[in-house]
Amino acid sequence: MTLGAKPIQSARLIAGVFAFACAALLHGCASFTPQTKSLAESRPAGVPGARELTEVPFFAQNDYQCGPASLAMAMVAAGVKVTPDELVPEVYLPERKGSLQVEMLAAARRHGLVSYQLAPSYADVIREIAAGTPVIVLQNLGIKEGWHYAVAIGYDWDNGMLQLRSGLNERQELPFAMNEMVWRRSGYWAMVVVPPERIPASADEQRWLAAVAALERTGQSAAARSAYRTFLERWPANVNAAIGLANAHHALGELREAEAVLREAALRAPDSVVVLNNLAQTLADQGRYGEALPYAERAVATGGPHADAASQTRNTILRNLGRGN
Amino acid sequence: MKSVWARIFCRLLVALMIWTPYQFATAGMIGTDRVVTESTQADRAAVLGFVARGDVARQLQSLGIDPKTAQDRIGALSDQEVQSLAGKIHSLPAGADGTDVAVGILIIAVIAVVVWYLWKRM
Repeated sequence: MTLGAKPIQSARLIAGVFAFACAALLHGCASFTPQTKSLAESRPAGVPGARELTEVPFFAQNDYQCGPASLAMAMVAAGVKVTPDELVPEVYLPERKGSLQVEMLAAARRHGLVSYQLAPSYADVIREIAAGTPVIVLQNLGIKEGWHYAVAIGYDWDNGMLQLRSGLNERQELPFAMNEMVWRRSGYWAMVVVPPERIPASADEQRWLAAVAALERTGQSAAARSAYRTFLERWPANVNAAIGLANAHHALGELREAEAVLREAALRAPDSVVVLNNLAQTLADQGRYGEALPYAERAVATGGPHADAASQTRNTILRNLGRGN
Repeated sequence: MKSVWARIFCRLLVALMIWTPYQFATAGMIGTDRVVTESTQADRAAVLGFVARGDVARQLQSLGIDPKTAQDRIGALSDQEVQSLAGKIHSLPAGADGTDVAVGILIIAVIAVVVWYLWKRM
């Protein structure tokens, strides 16, 4: 099987390119590979001419399991000890004989990493590799349903080549254009996984915050706490990240720390119902109902979409004050 | 005898009261996922996400995942992600090894690519 696998896979790749080319011709497409074209015109700012992340490990995929294999390569590169077999129950769907994109994102979170879906941009993939992060890309190597995950680990801009770990191929080298044809069919879908102490090179403030919040939501409070801290070092003015950091502290039972973060946020965003409500709640959790009440009152007075939650918080505090008297 | 029971009952009540504020506490914090997206959108996502989670869990099970594993996998998804799966698990791309190609088509494809390359070169 191993002997025949390489030619079969390259044949699949060619078929994928062919399928795309046919579709493009049918649509009367002006260019098969618009992003390769603009890449060729100028190298993304600040990246070297070539880089290959040779340290990224290689796991050959078992049948259909390029999802777990690709994810394991990216996760080990991010510092998590994991094997493809361990990831099979987390991402693989037996009846579909494959892995869904959102589950690829979700599985890395379960191991305390932040998953980030890149913007659909070739330049961003290059930027990530240049910064030392391997990129998982979704390609279509078939006529219709030939979906396949591969890990982009290197590029050579001068020669227009991309290096990937793909299937049974430890080092596949593809021209930028060829990769674009099979990658484009997934809507240029690409993702990275990074430890919470890092921010991807191409990260956008809002989307990165959503990625960290998704990690927090899975109950990885300690990892989320570091990720929010890292976030606030880069974007200190982001009040929502402060709310997230405080929530992570709160979930870990660190009420004093949560309080400090929220007090600081309340100075910068005195009208944020969420900051005021959560500060009131954090104080109330420490039994400091008298201190909590003014913040809860302010939250209720400010109103907005979270007004219901705020008045609930206030009523609880009032009840507790009544009990105390 | 009666006073012993009364004392136990009272202690139980006291113990239970310790729990009350804590339960309110977790209910009272507004979650980060409510603020990172537009709040009306987040509310909608939360409501739909809640409904969709059960749906998606059932679909995962129908695709060969046991109930416990399905729950764990759903738990790692954000509300938006759950919604993106709802009703589409059977049709969304599932990355595998890229096989849906018959050998005959392969041969045609190889010829076509060769022709295309030659044409490009001219």
